[in-house]
Amino acid sequence: MKLPLGWLREFVTVDADVDAIARRLTAAGVEVENLERVNAGFSDVVIARVLDVQRHPNADRLSLCEVDAGPLGRFSVVCGAPNVRSGMTAAYARVGARLRAGVHGAGGAATVEQAPPLQAAVIRGVKSDGMLCSERELGLSDEHQGILELDAGEPGSDLATALHLDDVVLDIAITPNRGDCLSVLGLAREIAALFGVKLKPPPITPLVTDNHRGEAVAVAVEIEAPDLCPRYAALPMEGVKIGPSPIWLRRRLELAGMRAVSNVVDATNYVMLELGQPLHAFDFTKLAGGRIVVRRAGNDRAMTTLDGLERALIADDLVIADADKPVALAGVMGGGNSEVGGETGTILLESAYFEPMTVARTARRLGLRSEASYRFERGIDPTGQVRALHRVASIITRISGGRAAGPIIDVEARPPELREITLEPDAITKILGVRIPRAEISRRLKSLGAGVRSERQRLIVTAPPFRPDLTEPADLAEEVARLKGLDEIPAAVPERPSAGPAVEDSSRVFARVSREVMLGCGLTEIKSIAFIAPADNQAYPGIGTGQTICVTNPLSAELSEMRRSLVPGLIAAMRFNLNREAAAFHAFEIGRVFMTNGDGSAPESERIAGISYGEYALAAIGRPGVTADFFTIKGIAETYLRSLPGAPRADFVPPAAGELAFLHPGKSAHIRIDGRRLGYVGELHPGEAMHLGLGGPCGVFEFDLTMLLAFGSSERRAIELPPRFPAVRRDLALVVDRGLAADDVLRAISEMKLNLLESVRLFDVYEGGSIPPDKKSVGIACLYRARDRTLTDGEVNRAHADLIERARARLGAELRQ
Amino acid sequence: MKDQLEQIRSRALAELADDAAEAAIENVRVRVLGRSGELTEIMRRMREVPPEERPAIGQLVNQIKAELEARIEVLQGRLREAALERELAAARLDVTLPGAHLPRGRLHPVTQTIEEMLHIFRAMGFEIAATRDVEDDFHNFAALNFPPDHPAREMQDTFFIGGGLLLRTHTSNGQIRVMEARRPPLAVVCPGNCYRRDELSVRASPMFSQIEGFMVDRAGKITMAHLKGVLTEFLRAFFGAGTAVRFRASFFPFTEPSAEVDISCLLCAGKGCRVCKQSGWTEILGSGMIHPNVFRAVGYDPAEFQGFAFGLGVERTALLKLGVEDMRLFFENDLRFLNQFQATVERLA
Ligand SMILES: [Zn+2]
Repeated sequence: MKLPLGWLREFVTVDADVDAIARRLTAAGVEVENLERVNAGFSDVVIARVLDVQRHPNADRLSLCEVDAGPLGRFSVVCGAPNVRSGMTAAYARVGARLRAGVHGAGGAATVEQAPPLQAAVIRGVKSDGMLCSERELGLSDEHQGILELDAGEPGSDLATALHLDDVVLDIAITPNRGDCLSVLGLAREIAALFGVKLKPPPITPLVTDNHRGEAVAVAVEIEAPDLCPRYAALPMEGVKIGPSPIWLRRRLELAGMRAVSNVVDATNYVMLELGQPLHAFDFTKLAGGRIVVRRAGNDRAMTTLDGLERALIADDLVIADADKPVALAGVMGGGNSEVGGETGTILLESAYFEPMTVARTARRLGLRSEASYRFERGIDPTGQVRALHRVASIITRISGGRAAGPIIDVEARPPELREITLEPDAITKILGVRIPRAEISRRLKSLGAGVRSERQRLIVTAPPFRPDLTEPADLAEEVARLKGLDEIPAAVPERPSAGPAVEDSSRVFARVSREVMLGCGLTEIKSIAFIAPADNQAYPGIGTGQTICVTNPLSAELSEMRRSLVPGLIAAMRFNLNREAAAFHAFEIGRVFMTNGDGSAPESERIAGISYGEYALAAIGRPGVTADFFTIKGIAETYLRSLPGAPRADFVPPAAGELAFLHPGKSAHIRIDGRRLGYVGELHPGEAMHLGLGGPCGVFEFDLTMLLAFGSSERRAIELPPRFPAVRRDLALVVDRGLAADDVLRAISEMKLNLLESVRLFDVYEGGSIPPDKKSVGIACLYRARDRTLTDGEVNRAHADLIERARARLGAELRQ
Repeated sequence: MKDQLEQIRSRALAELADDAAEAAIENVRVRVLGRSGELTEIMRRMREVPPEERPAIGQLVNQIKAELEARIEVLQGRLREAALERELAAARLDVTLPGAHLPRGRLHPVTQTIEEMLHIFRAMGFEIAATRDVEDDFHNFAALNFPPDHPAREMQDTFFIGGGLLLRTHTSNGQIRVMEARRPPLAVVCPGNCYRRDELSVRASPMFSQIEGFMVDRAGKITMAHLKGVLTEFLRAFFGAGTAVRFRASFFPFTEPSAEVDISCLLCAGKGCRVCKQSGWTEILGSGMIHPNVFRAVGYDPAEFQGFAFGLGVERTALLKLGVEDMRLFFENDLRFLNQFQATVERLA
């Protein structure tokens, strides 16, 4: 809401400058976002009455005028305008006045170039003491056909002041609960309450109906939907002459951010800005049957609004109809079929209260926001309808010559409820934590327009009708607090609530541990946005088989689905960096992915994923670096699993045909823990790598962190004491089928459960040479140990021979010679 | 024989001069002390010595042997030292050459900011709860006192994902989820991602993180004064002890009274600059006393319980603290940006 200070000062007198007013409003929750100082761009131009007009003795097209500038005196001016006539009120630039240097349009910028001071001149032999100005010369418009004619004004008074040209505009952000502040009057009330001064409401002039010629315009108003429209008031006016508004009115509207249209429409907007009551003017002759029916659209499927667009209606939309058809979308916009135009002579003014929800629904559905709907949605004063009609009628009479053509028709289908709030003696103190005396509470609430009375220890507060947001003690506590100033509430530290120890959610702890491991492995954390392109979800379906979630109202097609996997985000970050000087990229992300279950629920689960491309360990002088490949990324994945609480044991299972299609078919694996697939690891498919422009292998892994947590948080294992007796190592080279996985060899040996065998570890794989082409040799280190004694050579030899014998039988293995 | 021994001794000592070479020393050792050396020879001929002289000769032999061995040890030690010196001199590296680097991970600045904030909240007695990103209308709006069709809903432009579900627009759903499941006293913070229909730009992102916090206890026990105390303490811990904190009345559907919290501008320390639009203040978080309707929605009696809540945007706060202005930096993941942050989960004091 843009609030011109000059307008505000008509309703409240505050002994404070505009900065102080802005600060105070902001602290009280009526945030002043900006202050704009506007000025006329001219000075020493006053209002003057033209007393006499004579032809210039030496020039046909010039006139010699005598003007009366009130206390400043009478002056003789030469004027070339064709419209100058005696008796008119005009703008007179005195000698010494400063006008705009260039020719500008309407409106005032903060700084305007000014011409040098006006000097007395002799024009065709006659002296001219200043000049009469056109709108263009004053920068008010491009109008230059004649001089500006004013509709009123005290001769000698400053023109800039009279036309509100010098002003400060406060740009105020009004929160949705404060519909009452969407008017000059509402803001004036707020300021009066904040500064403890009196509010001066605008004058309400009684309707002038006595000059009306007796043939009262017959109007019937009927509310068929009292649930959506509790009150509808209307006033017919006749003898209206449609034309442009006077400068002062146009200027006010412009400062308040609205565009001037024509006098009648401008007057309704002016009163809306001033009092907060949206008004609408119909061309009365276009209303069939002279009737107004406030009803649901029902079977009417469409109407054309003032902006010329056809709007589809639904049955529940509230419309204003005449005897036949909708003529306005209630509270949103008028209809083109009843619009006030140049020919209009009789109008019907509407001043109604529409329920916020109905206006909001219709306006939102049609994407049609107006100054009116904005106010109705937030709740206007349900008692202000008749007052606004009085006010607008007096302005229309003044600026367009119209007069009331009958009394105000006021249909109140449902009077507003009186809202009484009972305040227990300590209610406000309990909320704010500071004692506020009863008298102060009462005084502050009254300053907002509330009624307050005492009932024993309690206060009974009647909320003002224009404050629908005040319904319970907490609301009143807020009013008292913000009027008093939040600075007046002390800061106190609560006793520590007895909620128990400050625990942390286990998934967060788990994520934190995971981050530590990733950092230690040299991966940098990234964050990517969870919206993704459908193609990325198809290419990288991640872990889990739920259905992809599509965003109903995405920002773009590229961001239209929720990610199933973190890998596309890592790849995008990698590409971003490779395009900007980076040669390698090692990163991870912890974040949520989203899928729908068969039952329609949309679970989200946490993932951790990593990527490694390019040089991992950097080359130094005299030693080569290590370029990331399958084993690098697998090593990181394994290090991660080993670092987790419980160190879950994982199986790496080659994908079946068609699985993990984005990975190299021979250099990828599912990661299975306790028989469940919790992740995968591998190099990107070479085709994909080429497509991404990569010059080497790029490893990725992804784990379901939520499922890992289930393993990680299992009971802590009992601590084993370090062994006290030495172990004996025996190495073994087994020649096995080339297709046999190393893991299967180790598992087969472990499963023998040999008594003294503590562990087996793979240290070498060899193919070629003396090994037959379909075989490979695996080097295995076997560690033997007894808990209670040092083993003898003989014991170890027997155990090892036993192992070899069983391995032969079990794996069809031969000892490598 | 005694003379002979004396001769052996003096000859050997003469050869074991200070500048004796390795070979000369070895030569003496073999000739005198070796298995078939001169001293062994003397011992073998001991039978020729009269028995009463034998102990004296034997003693003399041992004495000479010890003396020469000691001398050889000294000389060899010197030689070893000298050799080591030469070796070390030869093996001198250019220590300014780079080491063999392992990659170094960095923590994302947003994570770091969240951890730092949670660290402070934990110390103030808050527990940390996880909440969900995918929500229904009730938990994201209705229970938080956003009536349907109310203009307040437009303060937050929502992503919908079908099935009556949406992506939460704030972490305030955490209040509802936690209160539905538990009874006061409660002191909880919920960090998490939120989503709003804003294009990624200098000022906004369609996904961002927030930390929601709330404290609820018996009516009258947690007041607006405590809201001010807790948030002031938190902001001073996070931004520095000298930070000024200001509370302004405001509006949020789920709090009443509501307060916007500002801190003194970090750039100009409150004097007024371009960034704070000359006001000297920067808006930092929203807060208020939990609205009675929120308590009603979770089945608490508002006459019985009372508390405050607040919500804080992490990225915006991180930008303020880092003194940069572009939200996109957090989601582009440019290593040249990320590498400037420390690599630890723990907050360094
Ligand atoms: Zn500043």
